[in-house]
Amino acid sequence: MGLRIILTIRIFTILLVIFCLTGAEAGAVKYERSVESVTIPDVVLVNQQGDKVRLKSLLETDQPVLVDFIYATCTTICPILSAGFANLQRELGPEAAKVRLVSFTIDPENDTPGIMQEYLDRYQAQPGWDFLTGSRQDIDRVMKAFNAYFRSKMDHQPLSFIRSQEDGKWIRLYGLMSSSDLMKEFQQTGGK
Amino acid sequence: MMRSSQTFTVFMTKVAIVHVVVLLLLAGAPRFSGAADQPALSAEEAYRLGERMYREGILPSGEPMQAFVNGDVPVSGTSFTCVSCHLRSGLGSIEGQVSAPPTNGRLLYLPREPYIKGYEHVPSFHNYAVYFQPRPAYTDETLAELITSGVDPTGRSVIKVMPIYDLEDRDLEILIAYLKTLSDKTSPGVSESEIKFATVIVEGTDPVAVESMLAPVEFGIARKNSLTNASAANPRVARMGYNMLGPDLLQKKFSLSRWVLKGPSSTWRAQLDAYYQAEPVFALLGGISEGDWEPVHRFCEENRIPNLLPIVDYPVISDNDWYTFYFSRGVRQEGEAAARYLHGMYDLFSGRAIVQVSRDSRKGNALADGFRAIWADTGHPAVIDIFLKEGEQFSQQRLQEIISELKPAALIVWDDAAALEAFTGLPALADRPGLILASGTYVGKALWTIPEPLRELLSFTYPYRLPQDDIRFDTLALKVLPGKKYSDYDQKIIRQSYITNELLGNALMDMRGEYYRDFFFDVIAMMADEYYPLYERVGFGPGQRYASKGCFIVQLGKGENPQLERRSEWVTR
Repeated sequence: MGLRIILTIRIFTILLVIFCLTGAEAGAVKYERSVESVTIPDVVLVNQQGDKVRLKSLLETDQPVLVDFIYATCTTICPILSAGFANLQRELGPEAAKVRLVSFTIDPENDTPGIMQEYLDRYQAQPGWDFLTGSRQDIDRVMKAFNAYFRSKMDHQPLSFIRSQEDGKWIRLYGLMSSSDLMKEFQQTGGK
Repeated sequence: MMRSSQTFTVFMTKVAIVHVVVLLLLAGAPRFSGAADQPALSAEEAYRLGERMYREGILPSGEPMQAFVNGDVPVSGTSFTCVSCHLRSGLGSIEGQVSAPPTNGRLLYLPREPYIKGYEHVPSFHNYAVYFQPRPAYTDETLAELITSGVDPTGRSVIKVMPIYDLEDRDLEILIAYLKTLSDKTSPGVSESEIKFATVIVEGTDPVAVESMLAPVEFGIARKNSLTNASAANPRVARMGYNMLGPDLLQKKFSLSRWVLKGPSSTWRAQLDAYYQAEPVFALLGGISEGDWEPVHRFCEENRIPNLLPIVDYPVISDNDWYTFYFSRGVRQEGEAAARYLHGMYDLFSGRAIVQVSRDSRKGNALADGFRAIWADTGHPAVIDIFLKEGEQFSQQRLQEIISELKPAALIVWDDAAALEAFTGLPALADRPGLILASGTYVGKALWTIPEPLRELLSFTYPYRLPQDDIRFDTLALKVLPGKKYSDYDQKIIRQSYITNELLGNALMDMRGEYYRDFFFDVIAMMADEYYPLYERVGFGPGQRYASKGCFIVQLGKGENPQLERRSEWVTR
């Protein structure tokens, strides 16, 4: 009986600590938000199916657009960003196809269409999420346009962007975000 | 939103249950006994299952582990495996601004201080140690709590950077037992005073090539040992060496043995086993073969011995093998690049045929195979293959027959310099293909002798930085040949081996005295992309095993001393 009471108290304490900490993490703003003007470079990239994609046409659209910079063999930042995209699609359900999610590789040397498709499959990506590669020069142009240039993929940082449907400006989100934060930012910029 | 919230709440309830189980386990339950209806596991089976959980995110039941990232994002454990961040060695990673601390039992069960004991004043060790917050030593109980709830022993939450896992008690026990085996005992070939390396040389390889492979690596090892010797006698040198390497690496001498393989490749495995039995080494450095390498590759895979950058034309192509880092995908990479280049201009071909002529030789077949593999992925109609048998000359007449019969939009010729003669009459041919492409490395030095009228008609794959751009690295390459004549060596191989020497030195300094083979390659994989000699860009990345992935398409320029001119970027998609 005594052991049971001790265990109950212990479990309650653990759960209390966990919920308090979880709440604290979720409640605090842990990422930086800014509004940026981005001039999309006129480059042709290649998606996970090997199709050529003119970037301006893909991004300058009436549809909501979210962008991030990742690479397929990344071990730390990219899985968290991609889990956020995957969860956003899950939360949006049938509406997901109306939102463009665009991941740019920062490792075009390695990330071929086949590797990128495999990556998207791993995250159970739905239609509407494209992973783009291209020549090093074109990828560098895109990174620089978004003020997200990394000399090496190993120097990269957690960056996501949401295009405002009102004025075409981009909300720059710097930091590892929870899915609820990403959803909140998405809804604030006109996403349904 | 509802769905993930509910899942998360259910999960948190399970967290409580897991804690009960962990407490009960710690009360003295036997290891791996499992529930009453589950059979006891042997240590080997538990290790196998733990390794699968750690590396693949698969539960002992065969189901994927369920994880949550960032507090509330449900993900499959197969996309968020432990190895993703803590790497195969379990000694962790630092990438961008996210760092994953070591997760091997030996370090988990020690308190973490803001310094590494014995290395407090070594700058690189200090810079690493301050990445992580101090914490008390883990116990089985607090480790279980971290894995399932994301709370470390100080009460800090790590859910921003580490998933929490929904694990049953037995699975948790198996995973924790596996963590205790990670990077637990120093790898073979390392003692208090020495690290042993070997290099594999296939007998019959061009002696100049062999010496060119050896010179930079032997230079690096001799320099390291000189520093060790000098530091014993000179306090100023000792101070410098201490700051650079730390006390442990500074006192260790390096040795490099030559493992010469004789006879047919089918006998190499036995020779390698005998060499290894006589002298277990930490890793193989470089190595050289003009033909086969697969037996060496397999030997390394099966014995979990790293092989850093052998000089080979035919590396083993694998997405999963782990223990050999190659410079590139070898000869095959040129064929792959050619296919991507043609894919980029396919709309210009208007449905006309593409013809691939290839010499039935190891090199010709590797080039043609590489081309076909990538071309198949593009979904375009297959190319027309024509094979040149041994001794068969690719003649002007054969070329004219191909052009008049097949009228190809593009012609690819994978043959050696003798094939250049076939193109002599090309300028006069009315229906010549818009693109004729050959291999710069297969044609070899004859590339520089192509007569001017042909130069703008023939294109070549060239998997290196252009010579006029790479000349700036001569100074670096010469540094590893002190007092020697550069012209006595193969300049390409000197450059390759220079890279091997650089990576070896940098990796050992980054290893912080943790001499584990898996960590050796984990550290190299985490290095930033670099601009080294020979290749336009060298980079690995976790799990990547081919350092240079690019290839230019070039033509020979005009004039008496022509230069190669780019017709493509380094990477074409």
